[in-house]
Formats: sequence, structure tokens, C-alpha cells
Amino acid sequence: MDVLQDINLEIDAGDLIFVTGSSGAGKSTLLKLISAVERPSSGTIVFENQNINFLNKNEMPYLRRKFGMIFQDHKLLYDRDCFDNVALPLQINELDPSDISRRVRAALNKVGLLNKEKLMPITLSGGEQQRLAIARAIVSRPSILIADEPIANLDKNYANEIMNIFYSFHQVGVTVIISSHEAPSTTIKHKEFNINQGKLNLEKNVPLLT
Amino acid sequence: MFLVIGITLSLPSIGLLFLDNASQLSNKIKYEAEISVFLTKDISEDQIEFIESGLKKNSLIKNIHFEPKQDAWDKLQTKLKLSSLEGGISENPLPDAFFISLNTLDSDQIANLINDLKTIEGIKEIVIDGGWIKKLRSILYLIKVGVYTLGSLLIAVLIIVISNTIRLQTLTYQDEIEVSRLIGATNSFIRRPFTYTGIIYGFGGGLITLGILKVIVIIFNLITHRIEDFFGGLIVIQNFNLKESILLIFTAMLAGWLASFISAKQAIYRLEKNI
Ligand SMILES: Nc1ncnc2c1ncn2[C@@H]1O[C@H](COP(=O)(O)OP(=O)(O)OP(=O)(O)O)[C@@H](O)[C@H]1O
Ligand SMILES: [Mg+2]
Repeated sequence: MDVLQDINLEIDAGDLIFVTGSSGAGKSTLLKLISAVERPSSGTIVFENQNINFLNKNEMPYLRRKFGMIFQDHKLLYDRDCFDNVALPLQINELDPSDISRRVRAALNKVGLLNKEKLMPITLSGGEQQRLAIARAIVSRPSILIADEPIANLDKNYANEIMNIFYSFHQVGVTVIISSHEAPSTTIKHKEFNINQGKLNLEKNVPLLT
Repeated sequence: MFLVIGITLSLPSIGLLFLDNASQLSNKIKYEAEISVFLTKDISEDQIEFIESGLKKNSLIKNIHFEPKQDAWDKLQTKLKLSSLEGGISENPLPDAFFISLNTLDSDQIANLINDLKTIEGIKEIVIDGGWIKKLRSILYLIKVGVYTLGSLLIAVLIIVISNTIRLQTLTYQDEIEVSRLIGATNSFIRRPFTYTGIIYGFGGGLITLGILKVIVIIFNLITHRIEDFFGGLIVIQNFNLKESILLIFTAMLAGWLASFISAKQAIYRLEKNI
């Protein structure tokens, strides 16, 4: 059985996108397809005018590096400290150690975790772990940020803080794609794709509220 | 781990080392077939001359040395340190003899030659020497084949041992591998720390092998030195030279690399199937 069917959507550079739907609707699957973590069994995904189905296995890693991905289950590494978690994407890009430490600190500072760089992720609260995952996603300065239910288990104040981080990236031109159970409550111009049982249920363009 | 590799590698290396030395030893020994031709006792000078000229014409024969029975008798007596009187043997029991070295090692040719010689009147007995050298060589060759087979087997064992260790490490770092893959690491990037580890295992193991060999050679030579009188100082085992040592370490590193490469590749493959 196909998890997603008849999905047809377009995302422009600089968009703020919300993917909504109830549990099991297929939000995570859609985000993984967009970020080239998974490949579709049928259909095409076009990124920067290139059909990524035609990319071979060796080219996929380089495509993935263009996305900053925040996974639903964080996928943090619990056997290394916060600094090393955030450093991983830069190590993969084989940057100089001095560049790495400068940019890791900048990313940690951005999410307010600079004073916790030496701590292990397991000692952080749920919201702090979420922010650590964000720091890892933004450290290589991707032009596309994808977050899978980043505020699902957080209280309202904390959730607003996290969302404001994403909005600030959107403000400077980053394409931001966020999934959530409920429709967003923001005044910023955005697009919402609602998915229901693997089908694109509703597409909504919400203009800037004044 | 280093020790396991070192010991595994040292077994075939010791074999190779002794083999190397044994074949060098067999090269030092004059490598030619010799036959001794003993003449009848009552042979006349004319007959001896006739036989000698006949032998000289034969193309298979390289060198002829005639030893009159009196010379042989004198030699034997000095060797045994007795005079004919003390020994109570008044008559020389030894025959005249030709010692012949041959141009060939071919056993068929030698057999033919011996058959021809036997028909000559005045020749009583023919003894072939030097055959043992040939036998030693073929035995050495067999041992060599054995050592190489054992060596390849043990290197295969080595690869399995290392790849098993690395496989356990890939399981420990399963999360690292998965996350790295998800955020855009290439397969070669993911494999790198594991192949480094494998190569280091090989290097360390190779060094330990050299250490073990060194100790064994020293002990062996110490023992043979003690009984040197017996062997006439002939047996001194030479350790591998620099080139051979480097080759050994290189082989070990190659085995380590190969083993870890396979394990890391499998670890990535497992993930690709899961996702
Ligand atoms: N690798 C997979 N193979 C087969 N089915 C899968 C796979 N991953 C997810 N599914 C199924 O696809 C459906 C959608 O899963 P998905 O994780 O995309 O939902 P979701 O919208 O993200 O849900 P949630 O809000 O709980 O995270 C589910 O029924 C799930 O069981
Ligand atoms: Mg999900």
C-alpha cells in the first residue's frame, strides 16, 4: 500500500510552508521525500529544475546537504556532547576545525544553548533537545529548513520561542517547511498543505494578516 | 586485538623465515650429482687407463677424480687413527675408485649412464651421491607450498577476525552511521573511521609479528650457538630484511583495510535496507 497518493504540490524559494494532518496522515513521509532522505516508489520530485529520481546513489548525499532537516525524533547522538552533535554536518562537509568551532558556537548561540555546549544531550530538557536539533540543522546554513513536528510536545511559551526561531530564518530568506497536527497560528504570510490519509486534502494560501 | 593479529601472522611468517633460510642453505651446498665408480680389486693399470679414457669421452661427465686404493686406505687409517699393524689388517680391503661429477641432474640420463658403465669390464659397483640434495629440494618445495597455503588460510582468518571486530564497532556506532547518512554523509566518509581502525590494527599487528619473529630468531640462534660444534656453525637463522619486514607490515595493513572496508560496507547496506 502506498503511504502517499496523488500528492501534487509546489514550493517556491523563500516560502513558509506548513504541512498539517492528523497522526499517520503521512507528514513525515512527505518531508522525507522532499529532503531526499527517502525515494518515492512512483512519481517525480523536481528540485531546482532537476528530477531527483535520476540522481544516482553517490549524488544523493550532496543533495541532502542542501537541506537542514529536523527529525521528529531529533536523531541526536547521545554519546557525544552538544558541541559535537552540532559539529557533525560540518565535519561531513570537511571544514577546517577552526571554522567548525566558530560556526558551531554561532549556531548554539542562535538557539540559546551556547552555555551548554559541553553537556550531553540526554541531560537536556525536551525543548532544549529540540533546539539542539535545530542548531544542527542550521549550522551549515542551508537555504531550506525542514522541521518535522518541532513543537509537538512543548508547552505554549516554549513552542512560541521555537517557532520564532523558524520565523526569523524565514525572514532572512530561508525556505521553511514545518509539519504539525494543527493549523498554525501565525500572522506571517504562509502556505498550508493539509494531508489526510495520504492524500493532499487542502491547499491554503494565507496572506499577511494586518 | 593487536596481539591476536600479531600471533596469527607470526605463524606463517616463521614458516617462511625457516624456509627462506633452509633454501639458502641448500643453495650453499654444491649442487651437482656425483657418482662413485668402484673398480674390481684385481684390475690392471691398463684397464684403469682404458676406463678413464672412456669416461673422459662421455659428454655427461664433467669431472673425473681417480683415487687409487692405497690413497683411500691411507686416508681411512688417519681418519680412524690406527695403523695397519695395530688394526691387525694387513691387506688393503678398499678398491680403486673414480669419483665423477656430472653435467646433468636428469635422473633418466643418469640411469642410462650407469647402465652403460655397468657393462664395462673392471667396474664392480656404482653408487650415486647427491640425490639427497634433489630430494631435499623437492621436500623444501613441498613445505613451501604448505607454508603458502597455511599463510593464505591464516590471512583469511585474519581478515575474518578483524572484520568481526570492526562489525561490532559498526553496531556500536549504528546511530552515528544512520544520522550521518541522513544529513548527507557520503559512504566513503562513513567508512573512513572504520577503515582507519582496520589499517591501524594491521599496522600494530604487523609490528607485533616482527617482534615475535625477532625473539624467536634470537632464541633459536642462541640454542644453535650452544650446539654449534655439532652443526659446525652452519645453521644461523637470518631474520627478514628491511624490505621483507615492510612487505609483511604492508600485507597486514592491506588485510586490515580490506576487512574493515567489508564490515563498514555491510553496516551501510543494512541501513539502506532498513530505511
Ligand atoms: N518506511 C515505511 N514503510 C511503510 N510504511 C510506513 C513507513 N513509514 C511510515 N509508514 C506508514 O505511513 C503512514 C504515515 O506515516 P508518517 O510517519 O508519514 O505519518 P505522520 O503524519 O508523520 O504521523 P505523526 O503525526 O504521528 O508523526 C503510517 O501509517 C505509517 O505506518
Ligand atoms: Mg510524523
